[in-house]
Amino acid sequence: MDLRFTETQEILKKMARDFLTTECPKTLVRKLEQSEEGYSPELWKKMAELGWMGLIIPEEYGGMGYTFQDLVVLLEEIGRNILPGPLIATIANTFPILEAGTEEQKKELLPKIAQGELIFTTALLEGDGVFDASGIAVKATPKGDDFIINGTKLFVEMAHVANYILCVTRTKDGTSPEKGITLFIVDSTTPGISCEVMPTTAADKLCEVRFKDVNVPKKNMLGKIDEGWPIVEMLLRKGAIAKCAESIGAIETCVEMTVAYSKERVQYERPIGAFQALQHIMADMWTAMETSRYLVYEAAWMESEGLPCAKEASMAKAYVNEVYKNLSKWAVRVHGAIATSADHDIPLYYRRSKAADIAFGGTDFHREIVAQKIGLV
Amino acid sequence: MDLSLTDEQKVRKQEFDDTCKELEKKKPPSFVGFETIYEVDECWEYNLYCAKEFAKKGWLALGWPPEYAGKGDMMDRVLFAEARGYYGIPGVDIFGVQMLAPTLLQAASEEIKREFLPPIARGEVMWCELWSEPNAGSDLASLSTTAIKKGDEYIINGQKTWNTGAHKADWGFGVFKTDPTARKHHNITFLLHDMKTPGITVRPIPYLDGHAPYAEVYFDDVHVPAKNIVGQEHEGWAVVNLLAGFERSGINEIMSMIRGLEQLVTFCNETKRHGQLLAKNPLVRNRLAELACELEAARALAYRVADLQNRNEMSLMDASAGKIFFSELGERFAFLATDILGPYGQVKTSRWAPLDGLWEKMFHEHFITTVSMGTNEIQRNIIAWYGLGLPRMR
Ligand SMILES: Cc1cc2nc3c(=O)[nH]c(=O)nc-3n(C[C@H](O)[C@H](O)[C@H](O)COP(=O)(O)OP(=O)(O)OC[C@H]3O[C@@H](n4cnc5c(N)ncnc54)[C@H](O)[C@@H]3O)c2cc1C
Repeated sequence: MDLRFTETQEILKKMARDFLTTECPKTLVRKLEQSEEGYSPELWKKMAELGWMGLIIPEEYGGMGYTFQDLVVLLEEIGRNILPGPLIATIANTFPILEAGTEEQKKELLPKIAQGELIFTTALLEGDGVFDASGIAVKATPKGDDFIINGTKLFVEMAHVANYILCVTRTKDGTSPEKGITLFIVDSTTPGISCEVMPTTAADKLCEVRFKDVNVPKKNMLGKIDEGWPIVEMLLRKGAIAKCAESIGAIETCVEMTVAYSKERVQYERPIGAFQALQHIMADMWTAMETSRYLVYEAAWMESEGLPCAKEASMAKAYVNEVYKNLSKWAVRVHGAIATSADHDIPLYYRRSKAADIAFGGTDFHREIVAQKIGLV
Repeated sequence: MDLSLTDEQKVRKQEFDDTCKELEKKKPPSFVGFETIYEVDECWEYNLYCAKEFAKKGWLALGWPPEYAGKGDMMDRVLFAEARGYYGIPGVDIFGVQMLAPTLLQAASEEIKREFLPPIARGEVMWCELWSEPNAGSDLASLSTTAIKKGDEYIINGQKTWNTGAHKADWGFGVFKTDPTARKHHNITFLLHDMKTPGITVRPIPYLDGHAPYAEVYFDDVHVPAKNIVGQEHEGWAVVNLLAGFERSGINEIMSMIRGLEQLVTFCNETKRHGQLLAKNPLVRNRLAELACELEAARALAYRVADLQNRNEMSLMDASAGKIFFSELGERFAFLATDILGPYGQVKTSRWAPLDGLWEKMFHEHFITTVSMGTNEIQRNIIAWYGLGLPRMR
């Protein structure tokens, strides 16, 4: 047992921190929130040069061949700094392509993703807003060599700038909701697709995507027909751990900023950090950060080693969801009014805690998985 | 990051597990939770029996240097604690084996080590901790029981209290004021003494559930050989801090909660309320799942602390964070489990009590981890002052 980062990971961490500090200041974060695209193509290119989109893509497909654990280290830094844009959405889509894609799909898509030439996103949720298969109603119907997709997806991250959308569709009304789900890699320029950005807490460009008689060639099917749900589960599992890693970084920033401010801000002739009422809140924030961190590392390690970890991934997501929201809430409270203003950085994190909670499954969704995995019938 | 065990460690883990599983079969029915060893005679006997069994295998000296008959390393200690926690097996004296022995190894003279370590390793001598006093709790350094040196003896007078197992222990380690004129923190000496020394009176104190896990201890002209000192005279405070660092990592408690959760899940899978299985109640599912997540987080942090300790990089902050977290998790678990059990949650070990009355017991026992070993408020101070560098309260 050794819970330290490897030397490679330490290097990756430092490089990412330095890069983001210079390239993605909070002024840019705010600008991108207001912008229509929600990401910076210029920054995207630079990140591609560093190999970030292809970090865990094997070298044979033009990637860096790093491990899932290494990715967690990078995402932690991204969370620390905040990086608006489709990076995690794109990386998350490499999981299903790597695991369920045909050789042709891998050769076609992965090198381009690694080069930063493609933005990818996943269209999963619909009107019900639930993460289980019962929520999937968007239909794909076979027609000759194609499938025709009809219906509306919601909360699709960055769909308005994506080149490809991994669309989770229903191809059959099976005996159980999980049966009859099929995944398609859809070129976003296909006629019949329209997209509208939804206004959200984190201004993170979640979209409504409407599919009207959208033609998708059969060769764009990812995995087998009607048997796509396990792929979605895998994507949610890995995505959950990845999102947790990002949250850990954000949590760390909230703790650091709050402690630092409490040493500077003076009231009643002493720094507010001298008040025990606040000291204990900050001690609890630190404890919550550490428990989250090692829970996420445990899940990431298992995922990296290929060990079954559906339980641990869901435990991590359900736990970190609540920690991030509560801890960033306390960060605002300890700061006082200053951190309620849009000009302050803490609210950037607080608002993202809600987005992080929802992404790849909310607390109750993951708790239900945990309930099953601990053996409740 | 690597959480895997070596093949050798896996073999040893299996051995720890098998042994504890075997010992579990010999548990007396009155044994419900670790504290019962101090409360019920047959549980104390069981504790001594387990100690002897572990001693035969050399497991009471895990991680000690070979010259004191040590065996294995710190990681073995973690794996052993997990097995004992999961099966709920006593026999490792928390005061002698877990706290005093590592302290002696670091701070005591060769003579003291040679005299006191072997009986601990053999599971022969059980210890108690005589620190707190009626007027010295969290602020332990304000203690007033005196030990005045006369020739080659100290003469002790005063009173200690809340001393877990003092009515069962053979020996005690205590801190006493040896220089009434010196300034705070430099007037205390750490001494070892036989509990049968004339002048010592031990009175068990009933805990809130009526049993007596702890006692108060009166000293009336108690003569202790001056050689029984650990560390320097008047500098016992340094020894106190050293020993406090060896207090429970929580691995024991966490594993015992993991077992408790497994048993509670089985109970919910088999028990109907309102005509449906408790396991099918969405609220029960959600709350148990929430707890399971927290339990895994507690375990992950305990590994972090163990990992640091294995490399001699003790982090005060992580140890304090772990203590706060697992102890308050214990509170939440006791409340949740007794909630789920409904009216049966209040029934003590008896034919009416589900799960042997464990959760009724836990409804009382969680204070042991939140209040003792430095209260959770003191742990929060430690994180705030020494960890986060916040201004210290005056
Ligand atoms: C079950 C049990 C077993 C025990 N076993 C032993 C034993 O074997 N040997 C032994 O010597 N002692 C033992 N103790 C005593 C234990 O060490 C003390 O209870 C503990 O140190 C707290 O002291 P106190 O109870 O006097 O509380 P106090 O110190 O009086 O504290 C009362 C309250 O004030 C808070 N408080 C105190 N100081 C501060 C501060 N600076 N900042 C914020 N809050 C503060 C505390 O957190 C607590 O909430 C045991 C106690 C229990 C409950």
